[in-house]
Amino acid sequence: MAGIAQLNLPSGEDATRARIIARNQLARRATSDPFWMKAIVLTLSLGFLFVFFVLPLALVFQEAFRKGWEAYLKVFDDRATTHSIWLTLQVALIAVPLNTVFGLAAAWCVAHFRFRGKQLLSVLIELPLWVSPVVAGLIYVLLFGRQGLLGPWLFEKDIKIIFALPGIVLSTVFVTFPFVARVVTPQLQALGRAEEEAALTLGANGWSTFWRVTVPKIKWSLIYGIILCNARAMGEFGAVSVVSGHIRNQTNTMPLHIEVLYNEYQFVPAFAVASLLALLALLTLVIKSATTWFADRALRNAAL
Amino acid sequence: MSIKIDHISKDFGKTNVLKNISLQVETGELVALLGPSGSGKTTLLRIIAGLEFPNEGEGAITFHGSEVTFQSAYARKAGFVFQHYALFNHMTVADNIAFGLKVMPRRSRPSSARQKQIVQELLEKIQLPEYGRRFPTQLSGGQRQRVALARALAVNPQVLLLDEPFGALDAKVRKELRRWLREFHDSIKLTTLFVTHDQDEAFELADRVVILGDGEIQQIGKPDELRDKPVNEFVADFIEVE
Amino acid sequence: MPRTRHVLPGFRLSLGYTITYLSIIVLAPFAALAWKSSKGGVEIFTSTLTDKRVLASLELSFTTSFYAALVCGFFGVLTAWALERYSFPGRRILDAMVDLPFALPTAVAGIALCTLYAPNGWLGKILSPGGLKNLYVSWVETPNQWLVNLLEPIGFKAAYSSTGITIALIFIGFPFVVRTVQPIIQGLSLEVEEAAACLGANRWQTFWRVIFPTILPGTLAGMTLAFGRAVGEYGSVVFISGNMPFKTEIAPLLIVSRLEQYNYNGAAALGFILLVISFLILLFSNLLQAWNNKRTAR
Repeated sequence: MAGIAQLNLPSGEDATRARIIARNQLARRATSDPFWMKAIVLTLSLGFLFVFFVLPLALVFQEAFRKGWEAYLKVFDDRATTHSIWLTLQVALIAVPLNTVFGLAAAWCVAHFRFRGKQLLSVLIELPLWVSPVVAGLIYVLLFGRQGLLGPWLFEKDIKIIFALPGIVLSTVFVTFPFVARVVTPQLQALGRAEEEAALTLGANGWSTFWRVTVPKIKWSLIYGIILCNARAMGEFGAVSVVSGHIRNQTNTMPLHIEVLYNEYQFVPAFAVASLLALLALLTLVIKSATTWFADRALRNAAL
Repeated sequence: MSIKIDHISKDFGKTNVLKNISLQVETGELVALLGPSGSGKTTLLRIIAGLEFPNEGEGAITFHGSEVTFQSAYARKAGFVFQHYALFNHMTVADNIAFGLKVMPRRSRPSSARQKQIVQELLEKIQLPEYGRRFPTQLSGGQRQRVALARALAVNPQVLLLDEPFGALDAKVRKELRRWLREFHDSIKLTTLFVTHDQDEAFELADRVVILGDGEIQQIGKPDELRDKPVNEFVADFIEVE
Repeated sequence: MPRTRHVLPGFRLSLGYTITYLSIIVLAPFAALAWKSSKGGVEIFTSTLTDKRVLASLELSFTTSFYAALVCGFFGVLTAWALERYSFPGRRILDAMVDLPFALPTAVAGIALCTLYAPNGWLGKILSPGGLKNLYVSWVETPNQWLVNLLEPIGFKAAYSSTGITIALIFIGFPFVVRTVQPIIQGLSLEVEEAAACLGANRWQTFWRVIFPTILPGTLAGMTLAFGRAVGEYGSVVFISGNMPFKTEIAPLLIVSRLEQYNYNGAAALGFILLVISFLILLFSNLLQAWNNKRTAR
């Protein structure tokens, strides 16, 4: 008897399993694509991503190391190159904190309050994303340049904004203006305001609520927003190109320096500097994946 | 501490959520706000906590004789337990409970040793003495509920407000927690208001029940009075249907 | 108006700061642009809009952006679908990859694409006339003469042409379509597809009659965003375009060359026109989004 039972049990399990599999397949068939369709869709989309994304990235590094490690490292001995890196870091160091503070303030009022003109405010915050970078540079030239609105006055006072660091910083701030706000605001909206209200009923004032409750709860989105803002700030080309005047050792940021080198057919140095920015972009994408995962987990926990 | 609500109304845009509400809650009382969804009961509770403000120029709220109508929530310090608890997910259970102590002004803030002591006492009171180092997401619904309660009590509130305290729990835990809350209230004698849509819960727990419907108070009374003498059809229907 | 009271603190502070900062960084410079372009009077606009070089550059910007948006729409929907519905190794990496154009500086993309599609570049070599033939001849030991003759004339100039501009704009616009369509596909209810299947629709009919109409408004909105971004794009285009006036000179580049010639009024007028165009595109995209919200609301 025991033998029979032992023989029967597995086959019974198998039958059940087979039935479950069959039912799952049936259920899946209604909402999943046939194999040939999957094959076509995947081939096309992966092929597209390979040609448009992987190849250009691979090419940057291939060209940078075309003449080996030593030639690559030698690029960074050049004074103009190191100056451009230093200038880019300076610009990002000023622009990113400014836009972070702004992003937090904007997120706080847009996510937590209802007020007249909120729609308009949201559109205005997004606006710099859709303005051509060249126009972004142009408006500062028209405001601060020699022929501009404030130009004569600035000239009299001997204040240089255009073709100098302040102009580069301003146009970078403009171009990267919405990034922290547009990453943080939706997350804050999705998480709701119950935790802030709880902090208030426990006697916390506005600042403690902000620092102890709001910032920790949106920290992953905030980190991503800052990283993205930083990548854009370091990589901005069009706007900066219009206001900088391309003065070597003075107003050439890394992207502008890349352009100069490339146009002088100095391909290894051009791609070597470009490889640094490409690495920064890759790092940004890695951090994005990680922070999005954490931010989604925070959302799921909040929904518990 | 006693709470007096005097002719309070509340509009959200064009909708009239609360109409001319007056209510007096005595010190140490346990009062239920009972009503169907949309009756305005949660709004009333939030107005008492300072999480919403009533319409300007109509009526007043007084806590023990002093007016608090437009006082901010953090100055009012009513202990509030949220429907979904609103625990701080990035803090441990102990840090959640200690939060209200940590944000006190330096002068009145207890020392960190004293804070730890208060937290431990509260953890024992809610029967979770070993859970201080855990995070809220590692707790069950009933445990979170009790942590939220401990957090509200840590700052010694003069009044305890609970929004649907058992709403998100399953039936068995609900029953246990209900009994526990009644005993707990009897032991600390804190003025308590809670919102519910479940009449069994209201009748079993509360000293007095306030029935809200369409933004108005329909009837206030002891559970027996309401059952025996409903004043209008709304109350009769509502008690009947449940 | 009665003063509204807010329960959470910091409303005035945060809104005040937001508006002040916005005014300094964004609104004041825009006012300067409006002031400068109005200074030239109506004439500067009429002369700008009748200038053949301006018209050629605008036409080029619009057509290349349009084709780029079309390509982005097609591949964007496919990619969004693959990322949301299929599981395959490396899916997460690809998902992250889609944002590359947001993170990669345009100048880096510009020189990389230019080198890639230049006549002696990895892809330019194959795409240029006779390129396929050379590839075939170098791979096969005894080439078939008939096939060689057939392949000989195939090919086109990729870099330094409007094709090159379109390629750069596809790169820039792609994530806008994917990131607009992806959440919509994620939000599609499987039950609706099952219901269609139960009613006897095959997979193709389900896609064409149920799924496609649902994702159409979102796809168009994403394509509009890609288009809008493309019209103003500069960094990734200037290297690959060749910048020949009347042929491969895009509108933003014309602004730059006008500035370099100290023609500030002319630059301001063209900048103002571009700005108005981006406003209109943004408005159109918002309308499409509203249509999409109506479609996907549950």
